[in-house]
Amino acid sequence: MNTTTRNNRLTVAAVAGLLGILVVGQLRGQAGVPGLSSLTVTELTQLIANVTAGNDQLRDEVTDLTRQAAKLTEAGDRGETTVGELTADLARIRAWAGLTAVSGQGIAITVNGRIAGVGIEELINELRNAGAEAIAVDGIRIVAGVVVAGEPGALSVANSALGDSFEIRAIGSPQILTGTLTRTGGVIAQVIATYPDVRLSVTPLDAMTLAATDLDLGPTNASPRL
Amino acid sequence: MSTFVGRLRGLPSVQVTLAIALLVLGFLITAQIAAEGPRNRYSTEERSPLIETALGLQAQQEALKSKIVGLRSSIGDLEAQDPGAADSLRRLYRDLEDARLAAGLIAVTGRGVAFRLEDGTQGGGLDALVTARDVRTLIEELWLAGAEGIEVNGERVVGTTAILDIGGSILANSAYLSPPYTIKAIGPSDLYNRLRASVAFVAFVQGRVEPSGLRLSVAELDSIDLRAFAGTVNLRYATPASSPAP
Repeated sequence: MNTTTRNNRLTVAAVAGLLGILVVGQLRGQAGVPGLSSLTVTELTQLIANVTAGNDQLRDEVTDLTRQAAKLTEAGDRGETTVGELTADLARIRAWAGLTAVSGQGIAITVNGRIAGVGIEELINELRNAGAEAIAVDGIRIVAGVVVAGEPGALSVANSALGDSFEIRAIGSPQILTGTLTRTGGVIAQVIATYPDVRLSVTPLDAMTLAATDLDLGPTNASPRL
Repeated sequence: MSTFVGRLRGLPSVQVTLAIALLVLGFLITAQIAAEGPRNRYSTEERSPLIETALGLQAQQEALKSKIVGLRSSIGDLEAQDPGAADSLRRLYRDLEDARLAAGLIAVTGRGVAFRLEDGTQGGGLDALVTARDVRTLIEELWLAGAEGIEVNGERVVGTTAILDIGGSILANSAYLSPPYTIKAIGPSDLYNRLRASVAFVAFVQGRVEPSGLRLSVAELDSIDLRAFAGTVNLRYATPASSPAP
């Protein structure tokens, strides 16, 4: 084999190698971040903000649970009962799940006009996104499994008919809840665009009480996984 | 012409291969640059660190959720070991367990249905992408049909769960979920029949899924496992009240 032939083959090998590296790099880059690679800069920024806020809440939860576990361990070591800790934990969980009435500041959304259940569910979803800790529609507590459904003029919630005029109340930060709902292009603007005859007004409230759900949320078909 | 062909034939095969490879390489690079344009190149440069940050945050979120589930399990065990297990305390333990179960804080198992909701084929446009609205519709219909517990791609749906669009994917409980979406629900043995009898569910399938080319498949299963909700149950603004408003 002469020198020219060897150089040619080496060059072909180098180009083929370069092509291979580029193709493999591209494939690995796409496979490593499923979904994320298709997001725009704005969407990624929104995602990061949302996950960061969620992680902050999770850290707070870890801190609280760690403290609670430490208290229980100490009490156990001393041979003491932990009625106070258990009662507080029970009250917190029942309030969060909607099994007891809760009080606090928040907002009231007055709905006037014919709107479909999906429109109200859009509002409820946005309230949850804005950090609402408890929600009630026309006095009925919204918990897991409770849905506002029906066509305009035939709305119902938890087997209770809703008229064309009712109130949604939510406990949480009035500023955050109001700001999230009423921002330009926000959910209220979208709902009004879909249902032009509907009137929605948002009012911050310093205090309100939302009743507990009257549903039994205990499962009958599901059992704890051991 | 015959002279040109003759010259080509006279070239060493290695040189011809090299020329073709370089031509392909040049074409690929040019096509890539032309397709992206200046703005997109800038966005791609911006995106890499953002994607790394998002991935890091997702990993942190997974770790935090695992820790929360572990701590809740440990707390349950510690409570059960309380030495003063008098009747009143045993009732308190039972109430706590019931409340956690009702709140979705405990993993459960049971009979149910599993849906798989996928984007339509490429070229179907934006309508062929599954949206948060689609996922919420399916969840709402499952609740109305009598589901007792629901999970989307491993995220338990609870009273505070918001499901939002983010690009072609969704956020649920602040967790980033990308399609396809597996929506599992535990409920009565006729859960799927109840769902099929729902006018709104039929309208969703016929008015949204089929025309847009979305793919929806379902399986009725004797045993479905749902994870526990691993988010926060802390209340900052709400406090337990003794009685509802008059």
